Amino acid sequence: MAITSTQSLNKKGALNATPFAILAALICAAPILAVGWIALTGDTGDYLEHLARTRLPTYLVNSAQVAVFAALGTGLLGTTLGWLIARTEFFGRKTMSWVLILPLAVPAYVAAYAWLDLSTAGGPLQAVTFGLFPTIRGSWGAGLMFTFVLYPYVYLLARDAFSSQSADAFDAARTLGASPLRAFFQTSLPMARPAIAAGLALVMMESLADYGAVSHLGAPTLSIGLIRAWSGAGSLIDAARLSLVLVVIALLIFGLERAQRRRARSVTGSGKHRPAPRTDLKPASALAALSLCLLPLILGLVAPMARLGWLALKEPIAAGLVQASYHSLTLAIISALIAAALGLSTAYALRTKTRIATIAARAAGLGYAVPGAVAAVGVIAILSGIQGMIDPAWTSLTGEPFPILLTGGAAALIFAYLSRFAAAAIGPSESALSRVTPTLDGAARTLGATPLQTARRVHWPLMIAGITSAGLLVFVEVLKELPATMILRPFNYDTLAVIAHAYAADERLGEAAMPSLLIVLIAILPMIFVARYLSRDLSGASQS
Amino acid sequence: MKTNFILIAAALALTGCSQPSTEVEGTSREVNVFSARHYRSDASIYAAFTELTGIDVNLIEANGDQLIERVRADGDRSPADVLITVDAARLHRAEQAGLFAATDYSDLVPSIAPHLIDPDQYWVSFTLRARVIAFSADRVEAGEISTYEDLADPRWAGRICIRESGNAYNQSLLASIVARSGEDAAEAWAAGIVANMARPPQGGDRDQIKGIAAGICDVAVVNHYYYAMLANSAQEADREAAAASVLFFPNQESSGAHINVSGAGIAANAPHPEEARELIAFLFSQDAQRLIVEMNNELPVVADAEWDNPTLQAMLPFQEDARNVSELGDHNETAQRIFDRVGWQ
Repeated sequence: MAITSTQSLNKKGALNATPFAILAALICAAPILAVGWIALTGDTGDYLEHLARTRLPTYLVNSAQVAVFAALGTGLLGTTLGWLIARTEFFGRKTMSWVLILPLAVPAYVAAYAWLDLSTAGGPLQAVTFGLFPTIRGSWGAGLMFTFVLYPYVYLLARDAFSSQSADAFDAARTLGASPLRAFFQTSLPMARPAIAAGLALVMMESLADYGAVSHLGAPTLSIGLIRAWSGAGSLIDAARLSLVLVVIALLIFGLERAQRRRARSVTGSGKHRPAPRTDLKPASALAALSLCLLPLILGLVAPMARLGWLALKEPIAAGLVQASYHSLTLAIISALIAAALGLSTAYALRTKTRIATIAARAAGLGYAVPGAVAAVGVIAILSGIQGMIDPAWTSLTGEPFPILLTGGAAALIFAYLSRFAAAAIGPSESALSRVTPTLDGAARTLGATPLQTARRVHWPLMIAGITSAGLLVFVEVLKELPATMILRPFNYDTLAVIAHAYAADERLGEAAMPSLLIVLIAILPMIFVARYLSRDLSGASQS
Repeated sequence: MKTNFILIAAALALTGCSQPSTEVEGTSREVNVFSARHYRSDASIYAAFTELTGIDVNLIEANGDQLIERVRADGDRSPADVLITVDAARLHRAEQAGLFAATDYSDLVPSIAPHLIDPDQYWVSFTLRARVIAFSADRVEAGEISTYEDLADPRWAGRICIRESGNAYNQSLLASIVARSGEDAAEAWAAGIVANMARPPQGGDRDQIKGIAAGICDVAVVNHYYYAMLANSAQEADREAAAASVLFFPNQESSGAHINVSGAGIAANAPHPEEARELIAFLFSQDAQRLIVEMNNELPVVADAEWDNPTLQAMLPFQEDARNVSELGDHNETAQRIFDRVGWQ
């Protein structure tokens, strides 16, 4: 029934966003395809053979460990917190519901700088624990850092899944004698699994593509390996080949996530929607819940910021921070708007369930899988290729080369950002749109609404939160992004991340501290606004 | 509606935000610098240069390999006039990629020692950093260690702090040993260091010095300026860490201490070659050399440069490895592969 109604909608020329999904796919996948081209057509040396004999196994093991630690940590933390906020009531819950999103504003490399500095031999944590506090490093340390700053992905998606779940299944399980915990594992968790899986997929891909944190903490993953192939052996071609391995891993993660989603389809879909009420926690449990909410905040946000603030106090303030903030904001806002639009159109296109839309959506997700430096190489290859075609044509027409150098403008940078992060917008948009069941469309159309009216009056109110959070994720990602920014920025165009890195790379953590703090502050201000907005209907539900 | 929105956003990105690099020819002179350095000293140098010559400096600072790739991809459209990188191996790579215009630097900057100029005349070094050894003031006697080669001796088992092998300065140190003693000897040395490590490589050079202070290791291999930064730090803990170790320049009786360089070259397709020459010449001026030493704790290349930096003054004089620094680039890949084979993380 549902499927036929969707199909008939399409035939009548309902909103078809497939062209935009294809555009999104082109923007996102083109740099990766360019890198693939470099990888497959380049000369073959013996470097990869040498690597396979020496370091490759370590890279693979470390990558697996980092991704698994990060997934375990964020999965456990994000799901638990999501459940607490969505389904229980305790003092401070309302505030926590949005404050818990904020550690996402902290770049993993900033958390790594701060935590290694705190826990290093002779550092403050070892001093007060007589050397017992372990130094945070290696793959478990990197996994921990990603847990601290990426758990909001899982939290956000799990929370919204839990709070939009109907109470029926959970209540039925309870009526049948299941303990609350058992009812959770047998009804609520399976229903939330697609959302959690989407969050985990983001976490795993982000940790696999990370360079800054893993290199600082001494966890050589594959992304370190490919940068090393590039910088060490000077072989961009071999680096491109290694990045293809990352792309394959990303495809696998995607595939698993999709499989989750498909399995879950059969579970959901009760017609009558009765939101689950929140259970009032007893004082002791409420205190425990509140502490559990405060813990990740302290670990992911307060402690690293406090340490950096402490270091920043003692150093002169780096020059150009105001202008760099302006640059960072400009880039982040433009990219977020475009990414949200692309995410939305891809989600719409996916709704048509055509093969081409599905392929486009998956292709658009690939950009997230490779380190920013690699995406940047792809962007450079494409733009210089296009330039190489335009210039002769333009010269033959006007006698002068094309006036614009494509790699020299901010558009190149935004291209790279979209390639990297549009995937972050597609997931949330898709799950937002999935709240709009085909039957709703059917109802609206039966009542005489045009497709556009249906979109505006039925879809939009249901999706706005999801779309906003999609844009927000991209905004924060762009603000934190480093390698692509460094290489593709126009002349005299510093961003906060670039300044922070310049000092941190030179081990001037004190001077890196202020721009790092500013990144977090700038990310947090709009995030507070949006996080509160996203969390607003959570307070409404309990009153009904 | 959505369509409009997307179009508007796309238009914004392409027009409003992009800054096409059409050059304003005529009255104002400018020079485009692609630099892998990212120091406050450099900003001061460029400002002084602009004040002196009226030439505006346009700057992109990024990782050396990425800069090389961007300049290479843009080909004859590249706006780069001057390419600056740290680490001789990166200079070598930029040279291999054909990014530099051959220039007679011994004529442009006559005061420079020959081993700091690329023999093929593509680039010239304008700052030095020495990779040296720090040892615990308490647990190691002065004179117990005098060369890099000594570090591989089993008596230092479990007592060495050194960072990971991805670090350019570890690579150039090993490359210098390859140049001096051959690949096999270098590999034996690297394997000996791995066997002597007090802990898996982690953190930066300053963390190695702090490792000595925390009692984790007795000797560390670091760049001289990290020690200077700790010694001059605003944080008391940093100064204490520096005080717990003694810095010395190895191989003074033999090859000399290992040095790496920052170098500059005029880009092959430089749109402003004359301004590029002026800027490079300025890097060797008294002003520029003084800023490099005073603000960044690097060593000057101009012998009679005047500067005031007591911490650095106390380290001088020392004998540096007089082999041409371009050899560090020649042997970089060999050094990398040795690191891979001996399992130096």
